[in-house]
Amino acid sequence: MTDNASHLGATLQDLLDERLDAARQTEVLTHLAGCPQCRSELEALRWVRDVALKQLPVEDVPPALAARVVAALDVTDKQTVRRGWRRRTMAAAVLAAAAVVLLLLVSPSSNGDTLPNAVARDFVAYRDGTLPLTLHTSDVAAVERFFVAGGAPFAMRVFDLGMMQYQLVGGRLHRLRGRPSALFVYSGPGDRNLVCQMYEGQLADLPRSDDVREHNGITFRVYRAGTVTLVFWQEGPVVCVLASDADAEAVIQLAYAKAVKV
Amino acid sequence: MSDPDERRRQFESIALPLMQGLYNTSLRLTADGDEAADIVQETFLRAYRTFDNFRPGTNARAWLFTILYSVFANRYHEAKRRPRMEAVEELEAPAGPESDIALVAAWGSRWNPEVERALRRLPEDFRTPLLLIDVEGLSYEEAAAVLGCAVGTVGSRLFRGRKLLYAMLQEYAHQAGYGKHSAPDP
Repeated sequence: MTDNASHLGATLQDLLDERLDAARQTEVLTHLAGCPQCRSELEALRWVRDVALKQLPVEDVPPALAARVVAALDVTDKQTVRRGWRRRTMAAAVLAAAAVVLLLLVSPSSNGDTLPNAVARDFVAYRDGTLPLTLHTSDVAAVERFFVAGGAPFAMRVFDLGMMQYQLVGGRLHRLRGRPSALFVYSGPGDRNLVCQMYEGQLADLPRSDDVREHNGITFRVYRAGTVTLVFWQEGPVVCVLASDADAEAVIQLAYAKAVKV
Repeated sequence: MSDPDERRRQFESIALPLMQGLYNTSLRLTADGDEAADIVQETFLRAYRTFDNFRPGTNARAWLFTILYSVFANRYHEAKRRPRMEAVEELEAPAGPESDIALVAAWGSRWNPEVERALRRLPEDFRTPLLLIDVEGLSYEEAAAVLGCAVGTVGSRLFRGRKLLYAMLQEYAHQAGYGKHSAPDP
Protein backbone atom coordinates (compact mmCIF):
# COMPACT_ATOMS: atom_id res chain seq x y z
CA MET A 1 0.00 0.00 0.00
CA THR A 2 1.39 3.40 -0.91
CA ASP A 3 0.30 6.98 -0.59
CA ASN A 4 0.50 8.86 -3.82
CA ALA A 5 -0.85 12.20 -4.98
CA SER A 6 -2.81 10.45 -7.71
CA HIS A 7 -4.35 7.98 -5.29
CA LEU A 8 -6.82 8.46 -2.48
CA GLY A 9 -4.73 7.60 0.60
CA ALA A 10 -6.51 8.36 3.86
CA THR A 11 -9.70 9.25 2.01
CA LEU A 12 -10.16 5.50 1.52
CA GLN A 13 -10.47 5.16 5.28
CA ASP A 14 -13.05 7.94 5.37
CA LEU A 15 -15.04 5.97 2.80
CA LEU A 16 -14.62 2.73 4.76
CA ASP A 17 -15.74 4.34 8.00
CA GLU A 18 -18.62 6.22 6.33
CA ARG A 19 -17.22 9.65 7.11
CA LEU A 20 -17.67 11.21 3.64
CA ASP A 21 -20.57 13.35 2.50
CA ALA A 22 -22.59 12.09 -0.44
CA ALA A 23 -20.85 14.22 -3.07
CA ARG A 24 -17.34 13.21 -1.99
CA GLN A 25 -18.39 9.59 -1.71
CA THR A 26 -19.54 9.65 -5.35
CA GLU A 27 -16.19 11.10 -6.43
CA VAL A 28 -14.31 8.46 -4.50
CA LEU A 29 -16.37 5.60 -5.89
CA THR A 30 -15.82 6.93 -9.40
CA HIS A 31 -12.06 6.96 -8.79
CA LEU A 32 -12.17 3.46 -7.35
CA ALA A 33 -13.92 2.08 -10.41
CA GLY A 34 -10.83 2.87 -12.48
CA CYS A 35 -8.04 2.39 -9.92
CA PRO A 36 -7.08 -1.18 -8.93
CA GLN A 37 -4.41 0.11 -6.53
CA CYS A 38 -6.91 2.10 -4.48
CA ARG A 39 -9.36 -0.81 -4.57
CA SER A 40 -6.66 -3.10 -3.26
CA GLU A 41 -5.74 -0.61 -0.55
CA LEU A 42 -9.35 -0.18 0.49
CA GLU A 43 -9.81 -3.95 0.79
CA ALA A 44 -6.65 -4.20 2.89
CA LEU A 45 -7.97 -1.58 5.29
CA ARG A 46 -11.30 -3.39 5.41
CA TRP A 47 -9.55 -6.71 6.10
CA VAL A 48 -7.66 -5.22 9.04
CA ARG A 49 -10.78 -3.67 10.52
CA ASP A 50 -13.33 -6.41 9.85
CA VAL A 51 -11.30 -9.61 9.80
CA ALA A 52 -7.93 -9.34 11.55
CA LEU A 53 -8.99 -7.33 14.57
CA LYS A 54 -12.17 -9.35 14.96
CA GLN A 55 -10.01 -12.42 15.58
CA LEU A 56 -8.68 -11.02 18.81
CA PRO A 57 -9.93 -13.07 21.76
CA VAL A 58 -12.13 -11.48 24.40
CA GLU A 59 -10.42 -12.25 27.67
CA ASP A 60 -12.60 -12.83 30.72
CA VAL A 61 -12.05 -10.56 33.70
CA PRO A 62 -10.13 -12.59 36.32
CA PRO A 63 -12.40 -13.26 39.33
CA ALA A 64 -9.70 -11.89 41.63
CA LEU A 65 -9.73 -8.55 39.78
CA ALA A 66 -13.50 -8.22 40.01
CA ALA A 67 -13.29 -8.93 43.74
CA ARG A 68 -10.42 -6.44 44.17
CA VAL A 69 -12.42 -3.69 42.50
CA VAL A 70 -15.43 -4.30 44.73
CA ALA A 71 -13.22 -4.42 47.85
CA ALA A 72 -11.52 -1.15 46.82
CA LEU A 73 -14.91 0.51 46.40
CA ASP A 74 -15.87 -0.76 49.88
CA VAL A 75 -12.72 0.83 51.36
CA THR A 76 -13.56 4.12 49.65
CA ASP A 77 -17.09 3.97 51.04
CA LYS A 78 -15.78 3.39 54.57
CA GLN A 79 -13.31 6.28 54.29
CA THR A 80 -16.10 8.55 53.10
CA VAL A 81 -18.27 7.50 56.02
CA ARG A 82 -15.46 8.14 58.54
CA ARG A 83 -14.76 11.60 57.11
CA GLY A 84 -18.37 12.54 57.35
CA TRP A 85 -18.94 11.04 60.77
CA ARG A 86 -17.86 13.94 62.96
CA ARG A 87 -19.59 16.48 60.77
CA ARG A 88 -22.80 14.56 60.96
CA THR A 89 -22.79 13.64 64.64
CA MET A 90 -24.69 16.66 65.81
CA ALA A 91 -27.15 16.52 62.97
CA ALA A 92 -27.66 12.81 63.62
CA ALA A 93 -28.55 13.45 67.22
CA VAL A 94 -31.26 15.83 66.14
CA LEU A 95 -32.48 13.43 63.48
CA ALA A 96 -32.54 10.54 65.94
CA ALA A 97 -34.81 12.47 68.23
CA ALA A 98 -37.08 13.23 65.30
CA ALA A 99 -37.05 9.56 64.31
CA VAL A 100 -38.23 8.52 67.74
CA VAL A 101 -41.19 10.87 67.37
CA LEU A 102 -41.93 9.49 63.93
CA LEU A 103 -41.77 5.90 65.16
CA LEU A 104 -44.39 6.73 67.73
CA LEU A 105 -46.60 8.14 65.01
CA VAL A 106 -46.38 5.57 62.23
CA SER A 107 -48.32 2.32 62.10
CA PRO A 108 -46.45 -0.81 63.27
CA SER A 109 -47.46 -2.50 60.00
CA SER A 110 -45.66 0.04 57.80
CA ASN A 111 -42.50 -2.01 57.44
CA GLY A 112 -41.62 -1.08 53.83
CA ASP A 113 -37.86 -1.42 54.32
CA THR A 114 -37.76 -4.97 55.65
CA LEU A 115 -35.15 -7.49 54.57
CA PRO A 116 -37.67 -9.47 52.47
CA ASN A 117 -38.62 -6.26 50.67
CA ALA A 118 -34.97 -5.45 50.08
CA VAL A 119 -34.35 -8.95 48.68
CA ALA A 120 -37.40 -8.60 46.43
CA ARG A 121 -36.17 -5.22 45.21
CA ASP A 122 -32.76 -6.73 44.44
CA PHE A 123 -34.43 -9.49 42.46
CA VAL A 124 -36.42 -7.00 40.40
CA ALA A 125 -33.36 -4.78 39.93
CA TYR A 126 -31.36 -7.76 38.62
CA ARG A 127 -34.19 -8.86 36.34
CA ASP A 128 -34.55 -5.31 35.00
CA GLY A 129 -30.85 -4.99 34.36
CA THR A 130 -30.09 -2.32 36.94
CA LEU A 131 -28.23 -4.58 39.38
CA PRO A 132 -25.14 -5.83 37.53
CA LEU A 133 -23.09 -8.86 38.43
CA THR A 134 -19.40 -8.34 39.01
CA LEU A 135 -18.40 -11.81 37.86
CA HIS A 136 -20.11 -13.68 35.01
CA THR A 137 -19.40 -17.39 35.01
CA SER A 138 -21.21 -20.71 35.32
CA ASP A 139 -18.29 -22.11 37.33
CA VAL A 140 -19.49 -22.67 40.92
CA ALA A 141 -15.95 -22.88 42.30
CA ALA A 142 -14.94 -19.64 40.55
CA VAL A 143 -17.81 -17.75 42.17
CA GLU A 144 -16.90 -19.16 45.58
CA ARG A 145 -13.28 -18.09 45.04
CA PHE A 146 -14.54 -14.67 44.00
CA PHE A 147 -16.43 -14.24 47.27
CA VAL A 148 -13.43 -15.40 49.31
CA ALA A 149 -11.06 -13.10 47.39
CA GLY A 150 -13.46 -10.23 47.94
CA GLY A 151 -13.34 -10.75 51.70
CA ALA A 152 -16.83 -12.13 52.32
CA PRO A 153 -16.93 -12.00 56.15
CA PHE A 154 -18.63 -15.38 56.59
CA ALA A 155 -18.33 -18.92 55.29
CA MET A 156 -20.68 -19.42 52.36
CA ARG A 157 -21.25 -21.89 49.55
CA VAL A 158 -22.59 -21.50 46.05
CA PHE A 159 -25.21 -24.06 45.06
CA ASP A 160 -24.86 -26.33 42.07
CA LEU A 161 -28.42 -26.41 40.71
CA GLY A 162 -27.58 -28.04 37.38
CA MET A 163 -29.64 -31.11 38.24
CA MET A 164 -32.65 -28.84 38.68
CA GLN A 165 -31.95 -27.18 35.30
CA TYR A 166 -30.78 -23.92 36.86
CA GLN A 167 -27.52 -22.65 35.37
CA LEU A 168 -25.27 -20.37 37.43
CA VAL A 169 -24.88 -16.94 35.78
CA GLY A 170 -22.47 -15.21 38.17
CA GLY A 171 -22.28 -13.24 41.37
CA ARG A 172 -21.52 -10.01 43.13
CA LEU A 173 -20.45 -8.93 46.59
CA HIS A 174 -23.53 -7.04 47.60
CA ARG A 175 -25.00 -5.14 50.50
CA LEU A 176 -28.40 -5.99 51.83
CA ARG A 177 -29.73 -3.09 53.84
CA GLY A 178 -26.17 -2.14 54.72
CA ARG A 179 -24.88 -5.61 55.62
CA PRO A 180 -22.47 -7.62 53.42
CA SER A 181 -24.20 -10.18 51.26
CA ALA A 182 -23.01 -12.79 48.80
CA LEU A 183 -25.40 -12.58 45.86
CA PHE A 184 -25.41 -15.10 43.03
CA VAL A 185 -27.82 -15.69 40.21
CA TYR A 186 -29.14 -18.60 38.17
CA SER A 187 -31.09 -18.85 34.94
CA GLY A 188 -33.71 -21.56 34.95
CA PRO A 189 -36.36 -23.14 32.74
CA GLY A 190 -38.37 -20.62 30.75
CA ASP A 191 -35.64 -18.00 31.32
CA ARG A 192 -36.77 -17.58 34.92
CA ASN A 193 -34.25 -15.88 37.17
CA LEU A 194 -33.29 -17.19 40.58
CA VAL A 195 -31.36 -14.85 42.89
CA CYS A 196 -29.72 -16.28 46.00
CA GLN A 197 -28.30 -14.18 48.80
CA MET A 198 -26.45 -15.14 51.97
CA TYR A 199 -25.73 -12.80 54.87
CA GLU A 200 -24.91 -12.98 58.55
CA GLY A 201 -28.08 -12.73 60.58
CA GLN A 202 -30.92 -14.50 62.33
CA LEU A 203 -34.13 -15.85 60.85
CA ALA A 204 -35.87 -14.65 64.00
CA ASP A 205 -35.17 -11.03 63.01
CA LEU A 206 -37.37 -11.29 59.94
CA PRO A 207 -40.92 -9.92 60.03
CA ARG A 208 -43.90 -12.25 60.08
CA SER A 209 -43.93 -14.32 56.86
CA ASP A 210 -46.81 -15.37 54.61
CA ASP A 211 -46.01 -19.01 55.23
CA VAL A 212 -43.76 -21.16 57.41
CA ARG A 213 -42.63 -24.62 56.29
CA GLU A 214 -40.61 -27.33 58.01
CA HIS A 215 -38.49 -29.83 56.07
CA ASN A 216 -35.78 -32.18 57.36
CA GLY A 217 -35.80 -30.29 60.65
CA ILE A 218 -35.17 -26.92 58.97
CA THR A 219 -37.57 -23.97 59.19
CA PHE A 220 -38.33 -22.09 55.97
CA ARG A 221 -39.94 -18.64 56.02
CA VAL A 222 -41.82 -17.92 52.79
CA TYR A 223 -42.73 -14.41 51.60
CA ARG A 224 -44.57 -13.29 48.49
CA ALA A 225 -43.96 -9.87 46.96
CA GLY A 226 -46.09 -9.58 43.85
CA THR A 227 -44.95 -12.37 41.53
CA VAL A 228 -41.73 -12.90 43.46
CA THR A 229 -41.42 -15.72 45.99
CA LEU A 230 -38.80 -15.48 48.73
CA VAL A 231 -37.69 -18.46 50.82
CA PHE A 232 -35.43 -17.82 53.83
CA TRP A 233 -33.68 -20.38 56.03
CA GLN A 234 -30.85 -20.44 58.58
CA GLU A 235 -27.49 -22.24 58.19
CA GLY A 236 -25.38 -21.59 61.29
CA PRO A 237 -24.72 -17.84 61.52
CA VAL A 238 -25.78 -17.31 57.92
CA VAL A 239 -29.26 -16.66 56.53
CA CYS A 240 -29.84 -17.95 53.02
CA VAL A 241 -32.63 -16.70 50.78
CA LEU A 242 -33.83 -17.70 47.33
CA ALA A 243 -35.87 -15.20 45.31
CA SER A 244 -37.56 -15.99 42.03
CA ASP A 245 -40.57 -15.26 39.88
CA ALA A 246 -40.83 -18.97 39.06
CA ASP A 247 -43.69 -21.02 40.47
CA ALA A 248 -43.75 -20.59 44.26
CA GLU A 249 -43.71 -24.31 45.05
CA ALA A 250 -40.79 -24.81 42.67
CA VAL A 251 -38.79 -22.16 44.56
CA ILE A 252 -39.63 -23.81 47.88
CA GLN A 253 -38.56 -27.22 46.52
CA LEU A 254 -35.23 -25.75 45.40
CA ALA A 255 -34.69 -24.46 48.93
CA TYR A 256 -35.60 -27.88 50.38
CA ALA A 257 -33.08 -29.52 48.03
CA LYS A 258 -30.17 -27.26 48.95
CA ALA A 259 -30.71 -26.35 52.60
CA VAL A 260 -28.34 -28.01 55.06
CA LYS A 261 -29.02 -28.33 58.77
CA VAL A 262 -26.05 -26.92 60.68
CA MET B 1 -27.10 11.23 45.18
CA SER B 2 -27.04 11.67 48.93
CA ASP B 3 -27.78 8.01 49.72
CA PRO B 4 -24.41 6.19 49.66
CA ASP B 5 -25.98 2.82 48.86
CA GLU B 6 -27.89 4.30 45.94
CA ARG B 7 -24.76 6.08 44.71
CA ARG B 8 -22.83 2.83 44.88
CA ARG B 9 -25.56 0.92 43.10
CA GLN B 10 -25.79 3.50 40.33
CA PHE B 11 -22.04 3.47 39.87
CA GLU B 12 -21.93 -0.32 39.70
CA SER B 13 -24.81 -0.52 37.24
CA ILE B 14 -23.12 2.00 34.95
CA ALA B 15 -19.46 1.08 35.32
CA LEU B 16 -19.07 -2.60 36.15
CA PRO B 17 -20.56 -3.93 32.89
CA LEU B 18 -17.72 -2.14 31.09
CA MET B 19 -14.98 -3.91 33.04
CA GLN B 20 -14.31 -6.55 30.39
CA GLY B 21 -13.62 -4.03 27.62
CA LEU B 22 -11.47 -1.96 29.95
CA TYR B 23 -9.51 -5.02 31.05
CA ASN B 24 -8.95 -6.25 27.50
CA THR B 25 -7.77 -2.83 26.37
CA SER B 26 -5.52 -2.51 29.39
CA LEU B 27 -4.09 -5.95 28.69
CA ARG B 28 -3.30 -4.98 25.11
CA LEU B 29 -1.77 -1.68 26.13
CA THR B 30 0.50 -3.22 28.76
CA ALA B 31 0.90 -6.85 27.60
CA ASP B 32 1.08 -7.69 31.30
CA GLY B 33 -1.82 -9.25 33.19
CA ASP B 34 -0.87 -7.83 36.60
CA GLU B 35 -0.28 -4.33 35.25
CA ALA B 36 -3.53 -4.49 33.31
CA ALA B 37 -5.45 -5.47 36.45
CA ASP B 38 -3.81 -2.70 38.50
CA ILE B 39 -4.75 -0.12 35.88
CA VAL B 40 -8.35 -1.31 35.76
CA GLN B 41 -8.65 -1.21 39.56
CA GLU B 42 -7.20 2.31 39.64
CA THR B 43 -9.60 3.33 36.87
CA PHE B 44 -12.64 2.19 38.83
CA LEU B 45 -11.41 3.84 42.01
CA ARG B 46 -10.84 7.20 40.29
CA ALA B 47 -14.17 6.94 38.54
CA TYR B 48 -15.98 6.17 41.79
CA ARG B 49 -14.37 9.08 43.61
CA THR B 50 -15.46 11.48 40.87
CA PHE B 51 -18.79 9.82 40.14
CA ASP B 52 -20.70 12.82 41.45
CA ASN B 53 -19.33 14.77 38.46
CA PHE B 54 -20.62 12.17 36.01
CA ARG B 55 -23.90 13.15 34.40
CA PRO B 56 -26.25 10.16 33.98
CA GLY B 57 -27.15 9.64 30.35
CA THR B 58 -23.78 10.83 29.07
CA ASN B 59 -21.22 8.48 27.60
CA ALA B 60 -19.96 6.21 30.39
CA ARG B 61 -17.72 4.21 28.03
CA ALA B 62 -15.84 7.28 26.85
CA TRP B 63 -15.61 8.53 30.45
CA LEU B 64 -14.12 5.28 31.76
CA PHE B 65 -11.77 4.79 28.81
CA THR B 66 -10.54 8.35 29.32
CA ILE B 67 -9.68 7.54 32.93
CA LEU B 68 -8.11 4.22 31.93
CA TYR B 69 -5.90 5.84 29.32
CA SER B 70 -4.92 8.58 31.75
CA VAL B 71 -3.89 5.99 34.36
CA PHE B 72 -1.97 4.02 31.73
CA ALA B 73 -0.25 7.14 30.35
CA ASN B 74 0.77 8.33 33.81
CA ARG B 75 2.24 4.98 34.69
CA TYR B 76 4.16 4.47 31.48
CA HIS B 77 5.08 7.94 30.37
CA GLU B 78 6.00 9.62 33.64
CA ALA B 79 7.87 6.60 34.94
CA LYS B 80 9.56 6.24 31.55
CA ARG B 81 8.45 2.63 31.38
CA ARG B 82 6.75 3.08 28.07
CA PRO B 83 6.61 -0.19 26.11
CA ARG B 84 9.50 -0.58 23.72
CA MET B 85 9.02 1.35 20.50
CA GLU B 86 10.22 0.00 17.19
CA ALA B 87 11.06 2.14 14.21
CA VAL B 88 8.08 2.19 11.90
CA GLU B 89 10.26 0.96 9.02
CA GLU B 90 11.20 -2.13 11.03
CA LEU B 91 7.62 -3.17 11.55
CA GLU B 92 7.22 -4.74 8.13
CA ALA B 93 9.88 -7.32 9.01
CA PRO B 94 8.37 -10.55 10.37
CA ALA B 95 8.62 -10.98 14.13
CA GLY B 96 10.54 -13.89 15.59
CA PRO B 97 8.58 -16.71 17.22
CA GLU B 98 10.26 -16.06 20.57
CA SER B 99 7.85 -13.20 21.22
CA ASP B 100 4.99 -15.72 21.27
CA ILE B 101 6.12 -17.04 24.63
CA ALA B 102 5.28 -13.84 26.49
CA LEU B 103 2.04 -13.50 24.59
CA VAL B 104 0.93 -17.02 25.42
CA ALA B 105 1.73 -16.34 29.07
CA ALA B 106 -0.36 -13.18 28.98
CA TRP B 107 -3.27 -14.51 27.02
CA GLY B 108 -3.54 -18.20 27.76
CA SER B 109 -4.40 -20.74 25.13
CA ARG B 110 -7.48 -19.20 23.45
CA TRP B 111 -5.49 -17.06 21.13
CA ASN B 112 -4.30 -16.68 17.56
CA PRO B 113 -0.74 -15.34 17.75
CA GLU B 114 -0.41 -13.59 14.41
CA VAL B 115 -2.74 -10.65 14.90
CA GLU B 116 -1.95 -10.25 18.59
CA ARG B 117 1.77 -10.25 17.92
CA ALA B 118 1.49 -7.69 15.15
CA LEU B 119 -0.72 -5.48 17.29
CA ARG B 120 1.77 -5.63 20.11
CA ARG B 121 4.57 -4.44 17.83
CA LEU B 122 2.65 -1.36 16.75
CA PRO B 123 3.81 1.89 18.36
CA GLU B 124 1.39 2.89 21.08
CA ASP B 125 0.29 6.02 19.21
CA PHE B 126 -1.08 3.83 16.41
CA ARG B 127 -2.16 0.87 18.53
CA THR B 128 -4.42 2.78 20.91
CA PRO B 129 -6.77 4.22 18.23
CA LEU B 130 -7.08 0.72 16.76
CA LEU B 131 -8.00 -0.69 20.15
CA LEU B 132 -10.51 2.04 20.92
CA ILE B 133 -12.18 2.32 17.51
CA ASP B 134 -11.82 -1.06 15.79
CA VAL B 135 -11.87 -3.33 18.85
CA GLU B 136 -13.97 -1.46 21.42
CA GLY B 137 -16.22 0.32 18.92
CA LEU B 138 -15.72 3.91 20.07
CA SER B 139 -16.38 6.67 17.53
CA TYR B 140 -13.57 8.90 16.23
CA GLU B 141 -14.90 11.69 18.42
CA GLU B 142 -14.99 9.50 21.55
CA ALA B 143 -11.48 8.21 20.87
CA ALA B 144 -10.26 11.78 20.39
CA ALA B 145 -11.73 12.70 23.80
CA VAL B 146 -10.09 9.66 25.41
CA LEU B 147 -6.68 10.45 23.90
CA GLY B 148 -6.96 14.20 24.34
CA CYS B 149 -6.23 15.02 20.71
CA ALA B 150 -8.02 16.27 17.61
CA VAL B 151 -10.39 14.03 15.67
CA GLY B 152 -8.18 14.47 12.61
CA THR B 153 -5.18 13.23 14.56
CA VAL B 154 -7.09 10.14 15.62
CA GLY B 155 -8.05 9.51 11.99
CA SER B 156 -4.50 9.80 10.71
CA ARG B 157 -3.12 7.57 13.51
CA LEU B 158 -5.83 5.02 12.84
CA PHE B 159 -4.99 5.05 9.13
CA ARG B 160 -1.30 4.55 9.76
CA GLY B 161 -2.02 1.87 12.34
CA ARG B 162 -4.23 -0.07 9.95
CA LYS B 163 -1.68 0.21 7.14
CA LEU B 164 1.17 -0.91 9.38
CA LEU B 165 -0.86 -3.78 10.75
CA TYR B 166 -1.69 -4.91 7.23
CA ALA B 167 1.96 -4.66 6.20
CA MET B 168 2.90 -6.91 9.11
CA LEU B 169 0.09 -9.35 8.43
CA GLN B 170 0.15 -9.42 4.64
CA GLU B 171 1.67 -12.87 4.42
CA TYR B 172 -0.69 -14.21 7.04
CA ALA B 173 -3.63 -12.62 5.22
CA HIS B 174 -2.70 -14.32 1.98
CA GLN B 175 -2.18 -17.67 3.72
CA ALA B 176 -5.63 -17.26 5.23
CA GLY B 177 -7.07 -16.83 1.75
CA TYR B 178 -7.44 -13.07 1.64
CA GLY B 179 -6.42 -11.28 -1.54
CA LYS B 180 -5.83 -14.37 -3.69
CA HIS B 181 -8.34 -13.14 -6.23
CA SER B 182 -7.93 -9.41 -5.78
CA ALA B 183 -5.58 -7.11 -7.56
CA PRO B 184 -1.98 -7.45 -6.34
CA ASP B 185 -0.43 -4.72 -4.25
CA PRO B 186 2.05 -2.59 -6.16
